[in-house]
Formats: sequence, structure tokens, C-alpha cells
Amino acid sequence: MSHRTRSRHFSMQQIHLIDTLPQVFSDRTDLKSDVWHHDITLERGQTYLIEAGSGTGKSSLCSFVYGYRNDYQGTILFDSADVRTFSVSQWTEIRRRHLSLLWQELRLFPELTALENVQLKNRLTGFQKSSQIDQWFELLGIADRRDTLVARMSFGQQQRVAMIRALCQPFDFIFIDEPISHLDDHNADIMGQLLVAEAQRQGAAIVTTSIGKHLNLNYTQVFKL
Amino acid sequence: MLWKLLRHHISIPQFAGFFLANLIGMVIILLGVQFYTDVQAIYNGEDTFMKADYLIINKKVGTVSMFTGSSVAFDSDEQQDLRQQPFVKDVGLFTPSAFHVRAAFQMQGLANMTTDMFFESVPDRFVDVASSRWHYTEGDSNLPIILPKNYLDLYNFGYASSRGMPKFSEGIVGAITLGITVSGGGNMQQFDGHIVGFSSRLNTILVPESFMLWANKRFADHPVEPTRLVVKVDNPTDERITQYLNDNGYETDAAKLDASKTSFLLRIITAIVTSIGLVISILAVYILMLSIYLLVEKNSTKLENLLIIGYSPWRVSMPYQSLTIVLNILVLLLSFGALLLARGVYLSMLAGFFPQFDSPSLLPSLAVGLFIFIIVSIINIIVVRNKVMSIWNRKK
Repeated sequence: MSHRTRSRHFSMQQIHLIDTLPQVFSDRTDLKSDVWHHDITLERGQTYLIEAGSGTGKSSLCSFVYGYRNDYQGTILFDSADVRTFSVSQWTEIRRRHLSLLWQELRLFPELTALENVQLKNRLTGFQKSSQIDQWFELLGIADRRDTLVARMSFGQQQRVAMIRALCQPFDFIFIDEPISHLDDHNADIMGQLLVAEAQRQGAAIVTTSIGKHLNLNYTQVFKL
Repeated sequence: MLWKLLRHHISIPQFAGFFLANLIGMVIILLGVQFYTDVQAIYNGEDTFMKADYLIINKKVGTVSMFTGSSVAFDSDEQQDLRQQPFVKDVGLFTPSAFHVRAAFQMQGLANMTTDMFFESVPDRFVDVASSRWHYTEGDSNLPIILPKNYLDLYNFGYASSRGMPKFSEGIVGAITLGITVSGGGNMQQFDGHIVGFSSRLNTILVPESFMLWANKRFADHPVEPTRLVVKVDNPTDERITQYLNDNGYETDAAKLDASKTSFLLRIITAIVTSIGLVISILAVYILMLSIYLLVEKNSTKLENLLIIGYSPWRVSMPYQSLTIVLNILVLLLSFGALLLARGVYLSMLAGFFPQFDSPSLLPSLAVGLFIFIIVSIINIIVVRNKVMSIWNRKK
């Protein structure tokens, strides 16, 4: 597929949040956060957990970093580049090659089957072999649901499909927004192992968020949002 | 797979509506353009020897000038003045013959006619006949001649009918040799006249200028001055021409002006019809735009999610752009088909009225069709693209 030579030569080393704050929080004075209004740096190859209560802006943080929303104060730098200056094609490139995000609301296509949802991404990036995808479906216990429409699957099953999709691209950082809220411990552990294996293979950072139940990983640093 | 996802919510009735409306609009436009081209060709093609932008002018012959003997010839001042008019591109003189011409027309066992005639000539650049057929070199006994179409009509519908003699087509007459006897100044010479064509614009008997110059020198018994001029103009309907002619007491051939009036009317009618087609097409494109807006709106969540998983706006727009372009191509092809059908019908009718009618090419309507296709497609592409970009930007 269309690997651009440019992207092979560089990978994103750092995500640097400087004094970042969602605009809706701008008049809040009672913030006690390790992230908002701080200077924090996420490094490639590390594993981070962001623990948050409801309504503290965890999904907003993912959206800001992913270029989906820009209603924030402060600055977000990828290496030394301010993400506010990125063009449409730069963001497209980043989402294909450098940054993967598993959304809390998954953002799957209900009118496609589980496998089609994964293929839609993998055909864009041409990154994973279909044998690898099959293996993940097996490991996560949804091999029999591969050809089922996502609309007919439980949320827990959908979470696993979304995880597979999130792994079907090269990335330097992978953000996992509450990935196991509807999974049992067994499946959560398997998912954690898949994620770590793929992230290590790529030398990437894992950034996971949780409002309680979190993936059982060996975290470099834990932030309270 | 992208298409499988994005084709949801495509409204067949809306697209069919656009398709039909645009088809109708396009057919009307193309028919208008083509009909105009075809009919215009009849006016222009009426006379193959004189192009449409040539005017033939002469002075009015009034009762007074008859008696006073004031000249109907153009002197050099008047010619010079005409040449300097802004609407004039070229002026040629009609040179009349200053000698006697007698023509004998013989058909074995059928007809045997002799008549006195005269010749005129214009510069060869004004005569649209292959130069191999329209030339005379001294010593040649063959003489090419262009006759007024009226002569043939007079013979066919007047003389031949009343005498029960055969009628001749232009083609057959071209094969007949006229015995031409030229005399004057104490000399006399025989020529074989060949009719190379008939002209409905020229009310004269035309011979090549080279013959006329030579013959006037040899046979002339009195000097002659040109009484008619052929004028090449930019635009025969130019107001200034009429003004100038009136001011100077000149006349032009009436048929030409009639033709230009008819052609003016035709132009207006075609313009009206074509505008109606254009309005229909514009409305059709508007329907398509609305339909695509709705489609993109209904699919906006999907489009947004595609953009989020790394599909570029370009990639996401493409299926809809391709869809509209395929529709536009279908409209273009079908309307050409319809045009050919309709044209077949009216051409056979026109051929009944104008037997010599030579149908012109389809190029103008082809060009117009392609032009509209390109414009509509570009608009479609831009609109889809903008709509997708608005989804990209909305999330920010």
C-alpha cells in the first residue's frame, strides 16, 4: 500500500502538554489535576495510565491530542510542532502512521461486520496481515462473530473489535480510552497482552485512561486527571 | 467497502429526478445549438460561390438618373471611400464585358437555342470555386462560367414546362457545353463554355477575371466602368452598413438582407429555446446539489468516523464525486443519443425543402455538451469536497 517514504524516516518521540486546559474549565478554580495546567511529557516506548473521575475531561484530552477538537487553552506539541498548525493532510498522515486512538464510544460502523470494520482501517494502512487479524479475533474470543454486523454485537464484543482495529496501523503512541469497561478480567488480560506485544513490537507508547477498572499493565507513570 | 458504507441513504428518486431533469435540459440545449448550426448552414450554404459575409452593392437606378444620364458606375473616389469604411474588409469590382457575347445551347434533337449574353467578372478571391476549375489562360478554348440560379429555374419551370422539354438538374447542366461566340473591335472568337455552377446570390453571368481582362483588351469597342461592387464585411447585419448605403444612395441585394433577417429571428428563437434548456439544466444541477447535501448530511457520522480513522477528505469525497460524474457522463451520452435521433428526424424534413443541403458537423453541439459536462462535474466535485471539509471542520 501507500507507505510514504517520508513517514518511514521519522517517528514521533514526544507528546508535550503545556498548560493545557479544556476551555469549558477555564473559570474553574478548584482543579486538582496532574495534567491540566501542568507541563507534562509523554515519551515514546513508555506506558501511562490516566486515572480520572467522570467529567474531568479524559475524553476531551484524547480528542485534543488526536486533532479532533481544539477547544482548549495552552499548547500541545508533537516533538516540537504545535498541533494547532497542522494541516488536514498532516492530521490524516498522523492518524494513519503515528497516532492510534481507541475511542470510548468506539466509533465503529454498525452497518458493517466486525471483520469489515477492521479491514476498512487495515486496507487504508496495509499494515497487518490478515492472518494476524484472524489470530487476534481468535485470542479475543470473537472469531465466531467476525461476519456479524457490529450493530448486532454486545458492547463488550464491540470493544474487542475496536481494539483490533486500533492495532491495524503503525503508531508511535496509542491512546486507549476506557477499553475494558465491559470486559471480564480474563478478556481484559488478553487485551492487555495483545496491546503490550504490539506496542513493544513498534516501540510505541501506550496511554490508557480509566475511571476505575484499568488494564493491568506495567505503568511507567500514573496521572490523576 | 468504502462504497458499501457510503451508499447508504442514497435516494434513488432524487438521483433519478436529477438525471431526468438534466437529461431534458441537456437535450434541449444540444438540440438548440445543433438546430441553429444546421439551419444556419442552409442560409450560408445557399450559395457555394459567394460567402455569407459578402455583400453586392450597386447604385439605385432612379427615373431622374435615367434621363440625366448621371452615371450608375462607381468612380475611383467612391471606391476609395468605401474601402475606408470600418466595417469593410475587402472590396472587389464587377468588371462588365465591353464586347458582344452570343451563346448557343445545343442538345441533340431536343433544343437548339441561341441568345445574346453579357459577362461580368469579380476578382478570383471572391469566388469560392476550386482554382483548378476557375481559371482561364490566353489561348484556351475552354471557358468556365457561373450562371444565376434563376436562369436554370426560368428554363426548368418556365420554358421547359411550356414546351414539354426535359428539365435539367445542376449536375447535368454542368456537363453541357455552351457554344460561346465573342466579337467586337473587328475580332471574333469561339469558346467552349462550361457551367461550373449556379449562384443564387449573383444576378449575373460570371467568367474568370483573367478572361475578362484579356477579352476586354482584345474585343472592347468602348471603355467600361464597374457598376457593381462586391464587399466583404465583418458582419452583414451591422447597422452602419445600412446607414452608409442609404447615405450614398446605394443598394444591396435584397435576398441577402432577407436572409440575415430570418437568420436574426432564428438566432433569437434558438437563444430562447437554449436558455430554457439551460434553466432546466441549472435546476437539475440544483436538485443534485440538494440531494448530495442531504446524502452527506445523513451519512455525516460515518464520514466523520472515516476521517477519524485516517481516511483523507479527498478519499472520502471520491465515491460521491465519482457517482455524480458517472451520472453526468450518462446524461451526456444519452443526450447525444437523443440529439442524433431528433436530428435524424428534422434533417430528413429539411432535406425535403433544401435538396442540396449539406449537413454540417456535430462539432458545435458536441463541444457545448462537453463544456456543460465539465462545468457541472467541476461544480459537483467542489460541492462534495466542501461538504466533506465542513464535516472535518465542524468537529473542531
